[in-house]
Amino acid sequence: MKSTRSTLLSGIAGGLALMGAAGATAQTADKPIVLQWQTANLTEKQFEPVWKEMVAAFEAANPGIKIEPVLVARKDHWTKFVTASQARRAPCLVSVDLTTAAYNGYLMALDSYWNAEPEAWRKAWSDEVMKAARWQGKLYGVPIWGGIYAEIYNKDLVTAAGLDPAKPPVSWADYMTWAKALTKDGQWATAILGGKTDTTTRVLLTWIYSNGGEVFNADMTEATFAKNPKSLEAIKAYLGMAKDGFAAPAPTTTNYLEQTVMFAQNKIATMRNANWAIAKAEEDNPALKGKLIVAPAPHQIPNAPTLKTMTSTSIAADCPNPEAAWKFIKFEADAKWSIKRAKVANWMPIRSDLANEPEIKSDPMLLTFLKIGENAKPYPLPLPIWADIAAGDIVDAVQKALLAPDTVETVFKDLDAKINRKLKDQ
Amino acid sequence: MTVVSDSLSRPALPQRRRGQATRPGLESERWHGYLFIAPAFIFLCAVIVVPLVKAFWTSLERTRGLNTIFVGFDNYARVLESEAFWNSLRVSLSFTALCVAMHVAIGLGLAMLLNRVVHARAVLRVAFLTPWMVAPAIGSTVWLWLLEPQFGVVNYLFSAVGLIDSYKAWLGEPSLAFGSIVAVDVWRGVPFVMLLLLAGLQTIPVEQYEAAGIDGASPLQQFRYITLPNLKYFIVVASTLDIINTIRMFDIIAVMTGGGPIGATEVLPALLYNTAFRANHFGEAAAIGVLLLILVLAFSVLYVGLTRTHAQEGSR
Repeated sequence: MKSTRSTLLSGIAGGLALMGAAGATAQTADKPIVLQWQTANLTEKQFEPVWKEMVAAFEAANPGIKIEPVLVARKDHWTKFVTASQARRAPCLVSVDLTTAAYNGYLMALDSYWNAEPEAWRKAWSDEVMKAARWQGKLYGVPIWGGIYAEIYNKDLVTAAGLDPAKPPVSWADYMTWAKALTKDGQWATAILGGKTDTTTRVLLTWIYSNGGEVFNADMTEATFAKNPKSLEAIKAYLGMAKDGFAAPAPTTTNYLEQTVMFAQNKIATMRNANWAIAKAEEDNPALKGKLIVAPAPHQIPNAPTLKTMTSTSIAADCPNPEAAWKFIKFEADAKWSIKRAKVANWMPIRSDLANEPEIKSDPMLLTFLKIGENAKPYPLPLPIWADIAAGDIVDAVQKALLAPDTVETVFKDLDAKINRKLKDQ
Repeated sequence: MTVVSDSLSRPALPQRRRGQATRPGLESERWHGYLFIAPAFIFLCAVIVVPLVKAFWTSLERTRGLNTIFVGFDNYARVLESEAFWNSLRVSLSFTALCVAMHVAIGLGLAMLLNRVVHARAVLRVAFLTPWMVAPAIGSTVWLWLLEPQFGVVNYLFSAVGLIDSYKAWLGEPSLAFGSIVAVDVWRGVPFVMLLLLAGLQTIPVEQYEAAGIDGASPLQQFRYITLPNLKYFIVVASTLDIINTIRMFDIIAVMTGGGPIGATEVLPALLYNTAFRANHFGEAAAIGVLLLILVLAFSVLYVGLTRTHAQEGSR
């Protein structure tokens, strides 16, 4: 009896093992490589048609590779990536704060793949752009798209205030004159960003750069928000607009979303923002279509730089299929998709060889942004602690200064000291 | 007396024989018992004990991304030396004290109201429980827009009835933001306390109130000498559970303020999150987690002690 049962069990086990082995063989033979792809903007409506079309085209061209988008809200993007990285399960393809991620060992160096590509292809990116994609001399991502910061005006409100929309402000003095004219009951010239995200820092930097200021010394070892007189002067001028009543109330709760909503609802007449804000404002208020003016941020020095955010696609350190991932990066960086991203989603092309493409040249708004972006400083800044200070310490300083306007200098001196301590401690 | 009745009630088998005959069976049953609880025990170890040990171990390491080094209690020293930790502890304790006091006061009032109400009792109970049924993240998002300074309904209504002369940045100024967060947590937390106290109120015999009424006791005296003493245990248990719930509150703050402005609403769980995922200091974040756990455990021990004392009193 016992022998019969043992024989029967052995038979079943053997059969199952054989079936399993056969299944596994068949699965391995047919199973495509699946690459997870996580960027902060996959959930944004304006980008959806472009990335869906691009993924379908890539999969059709590469039948052995399947792209699995990881949809995550912008707010939770970094948290999810870090958690997955700590578990060694990060998506193969990611767009994250490159320096911080590379410093923490979450990304793979891409030099061998990059160097194996033809020189003509590599030359499509300027040296300055590629410098921002490197950490300690190694390449950790390929810059795909960006955002160029400029001043965006509501033409109707400008005209209604008796100002000439063809001659937007060039200097701070011009801007303050406009601000006075554009502020009236229930309407303000602009919004100061002071909410708890790094957009607060981005706009602050554009003001500092427009005055020739810097926030770090040349070798990035010392913060100079207050130490550099040009920087401090710019901070005072920008935040001073809240005290003067030119900026919408409650700046400490104003982020990108609140700013664009106020702009779409004609509550503010101008906003310091990147090209993607136009798509958002026009979607919220279609009546704004064709009624926006884009101009360089008012500045105090000739040829003042603005700020250009850079989004690169990287490969996670533990990616088991880096060759397949590199294929996708090359596909994503192709001129065709760069132009589509710019035309449909307002993500600005980073490749410097696209300015003469007919589709770009035929779009005056795009061309204006590209022209403004010719002299721009890359963002985020190449510091491993940048994400922390940009969304934390600098925002806290802006909030403190907004709540107690007489303490601006002290607050930013304290900020310099705090950042310097962190720089030494990293 | 007891011995006699015990021996009388025993069946015919002598104790020694019974013991001798069943000892191997009992041993086997004991092991069966362990086997039955083993899956639950292993599951609890996997989801509670292992993460706790891992969190404590992480608190002894300095993390730089995927690389770690053992630093002993250095993370604790850094946390305890930081101004942010003491600010967060102060915010956490004041937030918890205020919220729990208001949960109990308002919860008791509503429970008494619901206990007395005759008509539409079920509808009212469901209505009062609604905030508790809504997921905190969703409720907080709704409140975020209600409190929005430009378009929010709160500013509009307060302004319409003359409570404020200009629109307020409810989440933009430290004291207002703290008050707003407390208000939202009170909205969310009152139903839980109300439910516990309502259950307590329904255990008080009606005869006590009738007798007090005959003796001429006023409603206030009835509350002071009948309701409160009878509810004492329920109030203490509800408060302790509520402290444990409130001190680890994260969702409302994460959605509405992220701990700002200038740290005014940065409770310990928010500081932990910001330390881990903004500053990428997992070791220090784990140390904050361990310190928070000790704080919560202190109240948990108090709760267990209270329920045990009450159970012993009840069994006497």
